[in-house]
Amino acid sequence: MTESAIASRATLRRALGLRTVVTTSTGLAFAALEYLAAAGLVAYVGGDSAYIPIIVAGVLALVAYGFFGELNGMFPTAAAIRLYMKRSMDDRAALTITFTYMTTIVLVIAADAFIVGSALAHAFGEPAWVASIWIVGLLAVAVATNLRGITVAGLLQDLATSVVVVATLVIGLLALVHSGHGLHTPFQPLHGHSPGDFLEAIALGVFLYSAFEWVTTSAEEVREPASINRGMLIAIGILCVVCSVATVAMSHTLTHNELTSAYPQLYLGIAAIGHSGLWVMAAVTAVTALNTFNGGFITASRFIYGTAREGSLPRQLAHLNDRAVPWVPVVVLGVVSAAVALIVALTHAWQVLVAVGAALEAMIYGVAGLCALRLRTRQPDTPRPFRFRGLAVLGPLGIVVFGLLALTASLSVQNRFNPAPLVIIVVAAALSAFYVLRVLPGIREREAARRAARPRRRPLR
Amino acid sequence: MASTEELLEAYAEWRTRSNANPRLTKMVQGWDRVIHFTTTDTAQSYTMRVEDQQLSELAVGHEGRPDVVVTGSSEDFCDMFWGDLNPSEKYMSGEITLLGSQQDVMRIDAISMVAFLDT
Repeated sequence: MTESAIASRATLRRALGLRTVVTTSTGLAFAALEYLAAAGLVAYVGGDSAYIPIIVAGVLALVAYGFFGELNGMFPTAAAIRLYMKRSMDDRAALTITFTYMTTIVLVIAADAFIVGSALAHAFGEPAWVASIWIVGLLAVAVATNLRGITVAGLLQDLATSVVVVATLVIGLLALVHSGHGLHTPFQPLHGHSPGDFLEAIALGVFLYSAFEWVTTSAEEVREPASINRGMLIAIGILCVVCSVATVAMSHTLTHNELTSAYPQLYLGIAAIGHSGLWVMAAVTAVTALNTFNGGFITASRFIYGTAREGSLPRQLAHLNDRAVPWVPVVVLGVVSAAVALIVALTHAWQVLVAVGAALEAMIYGVAGLCALRLRTRQPDTPRPFRFRGLAVLGPLGIVVFGLLALTASLSVQNRFNPAPLVIIVVAAALSAFYVLRVLPGIREREAARRAARPRRRPLR
Repeated sequence: MASTEELLEAYAEWRTRSNANPRLTKMVQGWDRVIHFTTTDTAQSYTMRVEDQQLSELAVGHEGRPDVVVTGSSEDFCDMFWGDLNPSEKYMSGEITLLGSQQDVMRIDAISMVAFLDT
């Protein structure tokens, strides 16, 4: 970052401060799916020791923070993922990985629509099939507001995330206090479980922090570049505390059936303050969707738009409506998310989504480590406002650990061997690779021919 | 390197096209912004305003507090204003950098794209 760029930042009329960076980072990670992942994690550890894998995952999230911190400092732009990946590896591999990773956003949007729909249907005492109507309705509202260019303003986002985090923490603590008995084996995570189970618990723990790094796409909007890194660090701390309390409270107060339901957070609310707790947590769940739908739709649709404008996706995906919104990606995201959410509602396979998300997040953290390491060799002179000390050791170690976690998460669902997550990821990766290797060259050739045929407008001097 | 005169001429062409484009004027409805341009190779600075759905003339120098700051080479700016360059490509390759909200950045790209829909 040059001095003039820093000076320009200081003069921006609208710029984000540290508070909004923290709430954005925390809010993007704290989707409704967080509650299901937390409840799912309980199955892999003994007694009330779920906080241990969450803390271990927090330490790993700090390693990922180091990777993203260094990369974001080098490329403080919303297009950072494209820039650091194509400078670290072959562009075809970079695009394949990026497109596969984008699957996570679709899964999280779909999962949140399903969870919020199910929670609202349950809270209103409606039959399970009504959840499908809620799902379609919620996504239709999300698509419509996005198409109209309506976004959640910084202050409202700050408020929404604060409500979700504080309410979850308070409900978790009250549930523990009201249980009236001490924690069960709080220091023996392996009690009745194998080391492999503990590894799976850590993988799910990493998922609890996932998407904290998406705030790096706001790098162009912040008043001070360093606030992105500070914000991510604070968000990891907040997530560690809130998720540990909520997960231990769930393991301590909920039954097996409640933990494996689509709305364990509602039962946690009841355990904390009785029936009114159900409504509190139903409202909190609905608020989480505000962040997910706002952040998810904007991040994914703008990335697709940018990639299409760059020439790496069909031009149709760069069409804008009269409000300068890339309407095709928004509609496609809405339709695909609705389809996935309805499939989940029919199959009750939400833990498969959690496992796929956990595996993809671990994978991208490993890839970020690889990029940070490679760029140290390939671009040693590029300024690094944040330099991850210990990258030479923690880089390779992080790549191995995140790779192992990705593999573990993709082969297990609800403490049983299940290759479904791996199959979904392999299919997504194969489709991405097919597009990049077979379809994209044709698109680029046609685009090059179109441009070559167009006369240059700038007069020759 | 493009001179100030070349850049002003190119911008004037861009402005005429943009202000005469009904779709574009609708797209910038309610979007009154101050945009600073800075060239990396010639250290020139310019200010463009969008007010009442119209692009202003390009002022030499930075005026007022910006909503968006665009930094790139004078050649790239000149080509962009003539519609010979897709700014998104330069942005995705890191050659053009921006400061400002994502929504504002989208609008600027929208102006450059819709003004030259055949680009």
